[in-house]
Amino acid sequence: MKRAPLQRWGGQLLQARSRAAMAAPAARQPFAASLHRHASSAAATHSPADDIPAESLRSPLPSPRPNRAAESAKLAALHARLSLSNKIPLETLARALVVPSADVNASFNNSNLAFLGSTFINYHVLEYLAVKWPRLPMTILYEALRAYAGKESLHQIARRWGVEAAAAPGEEVDPGLLQWKPQESGLQTRWGYVRAEAVHFDRFEPRRGISSRVVMDDEFGDTLQAPKTGPEAFKFYQDEAYGSFVQAVVGSIYTHCGREATRDFVQSHILSRQIDLSSMFQFQLPTRELAMLCAREGFSSPIARLESETGRLSRTPVFVVGIYSGSEKLGEGSGPSLNIARWKASMNALKAWYMYSPGNKVRVPSDMFEEDAKPWKAPHIDIGEII
Amino acid sequence: MTIKAIRAVATGQNGVGSFILQCKKLDFHYCDWAGSSKGMNGFIKSLLPKFATANPQVEFAISPRPGKHPVIIGHYINGRTKPICVRNLSPYEILKKAELLRDANGEQLKRHNRAVTSNKPSVRGIWSPYHGKGMVV
Repeated sequence: MKRAPLQRWGGQLLQARSRAAMAAPAARQPFAASLHRHASSAAATHSPADDIPAESLRSPLPSPRPNRAAESAKLAALHARLSLSNKIPLETLARALVVPSADVNASFNNSNLAFLGSTFINYHVLEYLAVKWPRLPMTILYEALRAYAGKESLHQIARRWGVEAAAAPGEEVDPGLLQWKPQESGLQTRWGYVRAEAVHFDRFEPRRGISSRVVMDDEFGDTLQAPKTGPEAFKFYQDEAYGSFVQAVVGSIYTHCGREATRDFVQSHILSRQIDLSSMFQFQLPTRELAMLCAREGFSSPIARLESETGRLSRTPVFVVGIYSGSEKLGEGSGPSLNIARWKASMNALKAWYMYSPGNKVRVPSDMFEEDAKPWKAPHIDIGEII
Repeated sequence: MTIKAIRAVATGQNGVGSFILQCKKLDFHYCDWAGSSKGMNGFIKSLLPKFATANPQVEFAISPRPGKHPVIIGHYINGRTKPICVRNLSPYEILKKAELLRDANGEQLKRHNRAVTSNKPSVRGIWSPYHGKGMVV
């Protein structure tokens, strides 16, 4: 068992009293206070004997001191596990682990790095999606972006990097642990406008068109909403905390190593993940949409033909229906009834249209930054959605 | 707009794009007095510094456990731990055990009785050059 030194006891009591007197503003520290904390820590290292009372008087910091980063074995191991360049100091990685909900002071938390990193992650993912699948509808494009670069995905990435969270953030915990709390930080860390109708969101879901989502809402087309409470809040803030670490790592790579290293890191850790785009489509009127597509493109109107069937009078019939435009087959589907088979065939035809891809080796605009890049050839740009 | 999107999260596989070593921490426990720790003490003095510098992605922790057999405990990213008791082993045997723990992925040991484990198993089996029309070897 560890014994607490007697001279510290008085200090702890004093501290408790002073914190009780301060009451509410314990979570928020003004910038001046953060400057002061450096001064006091420097003084403590110079003459510890004289400064003990002053040291114990000050309230504990919300996150570990930056100069403790070099002592942390966890942090060094994490740095090596991610194969980060030596140009990225351990102090930066330690800062990337401090989430605004734990330490609201932007000089010590990861909010700036995370915002920088999120712009790079979203840019690289979005340019890849837009060039690889140029005909994706905007809703699917948003969801595909979220599937790669959304909070849940980044949370999983951070977990697979072996990032552990501290039980509670504080000055004394290991700087190699993620410092976060399941609560709103009060810092605005996302881009977007608060809509005029946001006050009514609890009563009804207003209709939002895609164009207004592009202008008003955040990078995944979600509205800015009030701080979460209740059981889903923990998961929400946990995703946000772990995700902000991944974003901050990308931001620190850009800060210390530059553009190419950032692109390689995003490609190897985020774009290397797999999504099945064809399972993300949900159609409401597939036959009508296919008819409109054929009318727009000047194809003859689609006709469903029964290709084969088995067990029409049995309990488990199977019909195979093909959708033809003139003599060209657009799609094929099978189902237990003629209508379902026809709908499935139309959905397959529409997916074949929307998921057109020029190939796996597509060049993205950021490839042009390379030194000996060949001249740019414009990718296929689609004229837009059907309905 | 008749198309709605269904939410999904991209799935990753370790080694596709990037590889993360699954062992994140190795604990070494020793006893100064007991004879079963003789090899472990020699290992910590002679071999461990080199092993630790060769594996910077693993966190190393060394602590005494008086009156107990020496043990190495590996902590893995999936949350599991693997302890190996290394009583009466020589330093080089202990190095083998430490390498085993470093290279493990933390999963429980499984019996693999198929040549290929796949997410999308082939309907027709794995192609072989020595069957069917045949290739002269």
